[in-house]
This record gives sequence, structure tokens and C-alpha cells, in this order.
Amino acid sequence: MANVRGCNLPDDLYYDVDDNVWARIDADGAITLGMTSYACALAGQLVAATPKKIGKQVEQHKTVCTVESGKWVGPVKAPVGGELIEINEAVTDKPALVNEDPYGAGWMAKIKPAHWAEESKSLISGADIATAFEAKMNADGFGGC
Amino acid sequence: MKPTWRVIDTGLRRAVENIALNRALLEARQADEIPSTLRFLRFKPAALLGFHQSAEQELNLDYCREQGVDIQRRVTGGGAIYFDETQLGWELYLHKRDLGTADMQAITRRICETAARGIQALGVDAQFRPRNDIEVDGRKISGTGGAFDGDALMFQGTLLIQFDVEKMLRVLRIPVEKLSDKAIASARERVANMADLLGHVPEMQDVQAALIQAFADEFGVVFETGPISPAEQARFDSALAEIDTEDWVHMLHRPQADVPIVEAMHKFPGGLVRASVAYDRARQRIKQVWFSGDFFVSPKRLIVDLEAALRDTGVDDYGPRVHAFFAAHEVDMLGLQPADFVAVIQSALSQCEPQASVP
Repeated sequence: MANVRGCNLPDDLYYDVDDNVWARIDADGAITLGMTSYACALAGQLVAATPKKIGKQVEQHKTVCTVESGKWVGPVKAPVGGELIEINEAVTDKPALVNEDPYGAGWMAKIKPAHWAEESKSLISGADIATAFEAKMNADGFGGC
Repeated sequence: MKPTWRVIDTGLRRAVENIALNRALLEARQADEIPSTLRFLRFKPAALLGFHQSAEQELNLDYCREQGVDIQRRVTGGGAIYFDETQLGWELYLHKRDLGTADMQAITRRICETAARGIQALGVDAQFRPRNDIEVDGRKISGTGGAFDGDALMFQGTLLIQFDVEKMLRVLRIPVEKLSDKAIASARERVANMADLLGHVPEMQDVQAALIQAFADEFGVVFETGPISPAEQARFDSALAEIDTEDWVHMLHRPQADVPIVEAMHKFPGGLVRASVAYDRARQRIKQVWFSGDFFVSPKRLIVDLEAALRDTGVDDYGPRVHAFFAAHEVDMLGLQPADFVAVIQSALSQCEPQASVP
């Protein structure tokens, strides 16, 4: 588990640092995705989450879900493109779950990736996680989770 | 040399155009096609939903249709508002690097405090009230909200120049006792407008100049007037195609019954307290509380501030929030206790949610 300025960033996940989202490869080849603990800290407590419809094709870096916190509305973007096959209804019912457990119960959607091998090259993992997020937090003027 | 930002006044428009311009300018800022921008805008009468709201739950739709009040969905968060020609909208379209932070609450505070200074320059003692309001002596004069995409963000606010409180009460479905004189008076205690405070209607250009000056000083920039660019116009046209549809306006459908408005009244040793609560059953959150009744609180604005602190509060959190609020404020209540407010809310909630517990 990487810990950068108090934000947990599990090192068994893939990250899109610019979009501040994580991805996990599931046993069936689908990916599960969600917001990072850092994204949650920037947003504050989520009060609403509206995902795109199941079955929709989502491109990499395009919106899979729109979230709201403190009257700010913003997108959660797909770390890789593909078909949206599942959304987490527990999160649409209780969006604060994302803040409580961003990598577990607060996962946001599952995608059947269309071009994993190619698109995952832009994601970071393992030992690179801490450096990449440290640089992002620095650029964002972020104090800590 | 100071950086130059653009200021643009898009005039009086229908809601559908104003919201499509929100989308167009935010996208254009994200694509670095335009400089950071301060936009002024005005609306033909419209009921504007927050991005995540449903029209059925928030608005008196029949009244809106009868009166020709447009119904639109914003791209920003927060609650439904009534917007007409008597209000001025202001919006900032910025890049994250203009702000030096990505912390949403910090950005809200900085922009709202700056807007409040602009309003102060007109002779009105406006202050930022967390989480999202600008108020004058406890009465709201400006509501705000934001949207972001990548490194670009838009933050928008209203400013009540004059205001038709009664029309607002008819348009919005809010937890107020029937549309009585008392309800209207009670609403007037919660909202303020520039004309009433100043004793005259200020010139729109003076209001704009004061806001421009405040933002210029805060961000260390100069503003230059500029038109809508061809890139924005193209993005506006395609945004309009999406937004000028029933699919957009009614993107979320939630039955009115899912957000009941419940009331309770209790006689305490310190007085009679009534709470009207709009409660979101599915999310188990209090959307809004209005207190009324016959009790003494000084300063009087504390009640409105408490209502603001209780907006959008989880069913497990309102008790601690009430107590934390009173712990943080000096107040004289002649025998009324913080726990009395908790009790009357709980009593209201018990009518719609048997499992609602004392937090």
C-alpha cells in the first residue's frame, strides 16, 4: 500500500493519475474502477452519483459517472475504454460510501475493456504510484488526506 | 504585467441558452480555446434544477407551466432555484493553475469571499456563509455552485438585485407551511435583495463593475471585454442540441413521494418550535429544514444559520451537527436547548421513516 501525504493508494491497482481514478482487473477480465482516496479528499463528501447507463460504450478518459459534493459537479472518467457492464447501486443509493471505502464498497463501475493491452500502457502501477501522485499533489497544492 | 482575463455579458436569455453556454464555455476553457473568463448573465423566468435533482421532487410543475416559467437542469450542483430578470448571474471559468489548489471547498471559499467583497463595495455587508451562500445579516443574497472537468472549472452564483419571494415559493417545492402571509414573511427573513438593502435599485453596470474589481484584485488580473468566440459558438450549438430536450431536463425521474415534507411541533419550556423537513428517503438525508414557531433566540440569524448548517445532512448526523453548531456559536435562547431542535426534527422524521433513530 503506497501512502502519499496521508492518502492510501493500494499498489495492486492501476491508476490514471490525471483523471484520479483506479482500476482493478477482475478474474473474468472485466475491470472495476473508482475514485482514489486523493480524489475523495479533494471533493469532500459525495452527495450524489449518476452513472451512465449499463451497456453504453465508454471511451478512455470519458465520463462513466457524474458525482456531486459541496455543490460541485464533476466527472469520474474511465481509465480504459469499453462497455459499461455494471454499476454499483450501493453507491448511487449512498454516495458517501465512496469516501468511506473508495477501493472496496465504494467502487463505482465495471467495464469490459475493449483495448486493455494498448490503453493500460498509460496507467501506472506498482513502484511508480507514489512518485506520480506526489507530483500531482504538488501541482495541485494539496496538503494531505 | 498582470494577466488578462476576459469579461463577457451574455445578456438576458432563456435558461436553455444560458445552460448551453455553461457547457460551451467550460469545454472551451478545458480545451484552452479561451482565456479565463468572468461572465455575467440574466434569465427570463426559469426554475433551475441542480444537476442531480428531479423536477417532480423540486418544483411545482403545474404552476411553472401555467406561468410560462422555463424548467431547466443546471450543469452545477446544489438545489433548485427560481431565477428571473431581477437577478444577476455571475460565473468564473478558470484553469486550476489560476487557483493554486484543487481543493473544492477552498476554491468555493475563495471565490465566495471575493464576490462578497464586491457586494460590500456597493454598500451592503455581504459575507460568505459555508457551505455555499453569501448572506447579509443571516439572509441569503447569493447562492453558488460549481462544475469541473479536467483542469477547468466553472463556478457560478446568483445575486438578488430585486426579488419576488412569493413567486419563488410558488415555483419551488420547499418545506414551508402553506402559502400563507406567514410563510411569505418567513421566507423574507431568509432572503435579502440589493434593492431592499440599499433603498434603491442599483444600476446593473455598477454591480458588474464592483464584482469585476473584486475578482481583478483577488486574482491579480485585468479584465478585458470580449465577445463569444467562434469556437464557443460551435460548442454552444452542439450543447444546445443536447440540452434543449426533455431527455436532459428530465434526465432523473424520482417520485415526489420519495422526498416527503414532514412537520412537527413541540412545546418546550423555552417556547414552541416547529420544524418542516424535506427528507430524502432513498438517501436517508435531510435536504432542508425550516424552523418557525414562538421562541426567543438572539442573535435571530442563528436560526437561519442553523438551517444552512443542516442542509443535506445524513439521518445519523443531524443530532451531532445541531450540538456542534451551538457549541460553536454564542447564543441566548431563554431556556430553549440545542436538544430541543434535535427532538423536533426527530419527531418530524418519525412520520416518514419508522426506522429513523435518534442520532
